[in-house]
Amino acid sequence: MNTIKHHIGDDTLMAYVNGTLTETISVVVATHLALCPECRKNVQLMEDIAALYLVDSEPGGVMSTPPSVDMLEQDDPSADLSFTTEYVDKGVPAPLASQLPMHLEDIPWKKLIPGVSHYPLSVSNGSRKKGVLRLLKISPGTPIPEHSHTGQEITMILKGSYIDELGRFQSGDIADLDSTITHQPVADTDKDCICLIATDAPLKFSGFFSKLLQPLVGI
Amino acid sequence: MANNATPNDLNEDLTAIAHFQDQKAYHRLFHSIAPRLKSFLLSQGVMENNAEEILQETMLKVWQKARLFDSSKASASTWIYTIARNVKIDRIRKDLRPEPDPHDPSYIPDSPETGEQSISRKQEGNVIRKAVAKLPPEQIRIITMSFYEDKSHAEIAEALNLPLGTVKSRIRLAFGKIRNELDGVS
Repeated sequence: MNTIKHHIGDDTLMAYVNGTLTETISVVVATHLALCPECRKNVQLMEDIAALYLVDSEPGGVMSTPPSVDMLEQDDPSADLSFTTEYVDKGVPAPLASQLPMHLEDIPWKKLIPGVSHYPLSVSNGSRKKGVLRLLKISPGTPIPEHSHTGQEITMILKGSYIDELGRFQSGDIADLDSTITHQPVADTDKDCICLIATDAPLKFSGFFSKLLQPLVGI
Repeated sequence: MANNATPNDLNEDLTAIAHFQDQKAYHRLFHSIAPRLKSFLLSQGVMENNAEEILQETMLKVWQKARLFDSSKASASTWIYTIARNVKIDRIRKDLRPEPDPHDPSYIPDSPETGEQSISRKQEGNVIRKAVAKLPPEQIRIITMSFYEDKSHAEIAEALNLPLGTVKSRIRLAFGKIRNELDGVS
């Protein structure tokens, strides 16, 4: 499945590394990372750079002494593998699976407009401002109205594909768009296109998905 | 950017902790990294007492997870950084920050590294430092504000009085240049 062509933007990836990214978008980033060695390499580069700031810090006064490890067991690398059995297959990588109550095939889709359905996911509440995380299903040939984005909206293709002005997006691909881009995606095969979409700001309505939802759901 | 905790020493100490449960190495590691981690956390705006707590928890995790450290995959300082970052996010933000898990059946592993790649990987600490130093000052500034001051892109945009899009495009430019520089070296 090494067909990934569209990756996470460095700005988004950096915020993920730094822990300053909205939770909803972090879920999409981690789901893509599970499938994308190339983006994981970029994460590592960014962590290497962040670590330089750590080792180059001027040593400060530490009050405490090293915590005692006399009674502390060390994790066994081989025992760690036993977790494998705990994975419940939901048809998606673990970072998304942990947010999904059921298998991707069993999602109770809610119809938005002809050819387009969605399923909202709730993300745990942290201290940062919350965004919105949803699954979206587009039937073959359904054109999504032309739109642009404000705030950050990031999309990952889980199944099927779509095509727009930027190219063809297939399973595993990311559309990490900023507000300068206007596009009109169309599911371009005979299969449904299922996407995971996160926004960082629930109160902004100009993202294409939010625009669709606004009159229908009244959020 | 002088007076570095030498990465090789960290690496050796971590290996001794993993293989021999060497408490002397553990104490050495504490004394070389804890003072730096402390001021790093303070620079990120963490309060004094929280910084000490994060320090303690990080060191316990370093001991516990030492056997999971793989020096062919990451440098010791990067590994310790990621542990400290995760402890900080858990304790202070209590946010969800999911990570990919190599044991996940859906996970697509890295293609196997050639010997040549793992050699170049070892050099990267200093090479990366040089590549960052070559960036234009306005790009370095944003990387520093992100990692050293723990600011979000929006906070950086506000502090520098720049549009958010400019901050993001400078980040993309900066990492593009760093990667070009590193590709040129290897």
